[in-house]
Amino acid sequence: MRFLRAAVAEVIGLFVGDWAQTGVSVGILVIGWFVLSRVHVAGIAFLIAIALAAQIVYATTLEARERAGRS
Amino acid sequence: MYAQLLTFGAAFLGSAVESVEALTIVLAVGLTRGWRSPLYGTVVALVALAILVLVFGQLIVTRVPELTLKLIIGTLIVLFGLRWLHKAILRSAGVIAMHDENKSYEETLKELHGSVLRQDWVAFVIALKGVFLEGMEVVFIVVAVGGTSGSGGLPIAVAGGLLAMIVIAVTGVIVRKPLAQVPENTLKYAVGVVLASIGTFWAAEGMGATWPLDLASVLGLAAIYFGASRVAVMMIRRRKPVMA
Repeated sequence: MRFLRAAVAEVIGLFVGDWAQTGVSVGILVIGWFVLSRVHVAGIAFLIAIALAAQIVYATTLEARERAGRS
Repeated sequence: MYAQLLTFGAAFLGSAVESVEALTIVLAVGLTRGWRSPLYGTVVALVALAILVLVFGQLIVTRVPELTLKLIIGTLIVLFGLRWLHKAILRSAGVIAMHDENKSYEETLKELHGSVLRQDWVAFVIALKGVFLEGMEVVFIVVAVGGTSGSGGLPIAVAGGLLAMIVIAVTGVIVRKPLAQVPENTLKYAVGVVLASIGTFWAAEGMGATWPLDLASVLGLAAIYFGASRVAVMMIRRRKPVMA
């Protein structure tokens, strides 16, 4: 049973480190989907990557600040 | 050709990183308790992983419509890649310690010394658990990258994953100690960028987007993610002195 729990945790852990951050990433993708379904311009999908990249810059700097504050 | 190389490369790099971690566990068990039980555990884990690849790979390739597949798997690959990239940024900036195979090796040894009874069973279970859990990431990378690469993508991804495992296993047998020299953190950084880029490409295609220059757009996406990660590392380093 412990092994199964560890396997399930491992699978979820593949995609989720921080639920809030994952939620933001999924939110960006959903908004991207909404925009892409209405605006048909080649290359506009790069905006999704830019938003996700900005999100990771924010999330990592925030985590670094929190860790520094704790120590 | 370009798509096949990308599929093979992503599967190879991702699998190599995880194989190093699995090998560390098997080596720690084998060198301290003998090789028979950990090798049985490794074989059982590899068979289970191969079944997962076959079942999920076939199911995905044959049952799910292409656009739906690209959207779902692309989204999962984005999340997976961003998670690796997140950790790689924090490691590069010195916020968290670099992954150290020697340390993992010592920890597994400690775990083994704590158990006294039924040594073979313990060695079997630790090797099985280590290889199976680390191998789950290999399975995901191979099935996701192979399943979304069109017809013939899955065998290429499987070949990339298998070759990585063989290369790491042979190296491990030759050196007989943890592969601490493998630049694991750099590899994880590269794989994080590659997977986030491929994932974004496929997810957007699944949403109905068209990319200028088709698959070559992945290079542009990789530049965006790599550039952002360097900006993050720079910002973190500027804020505080490097810890590690």
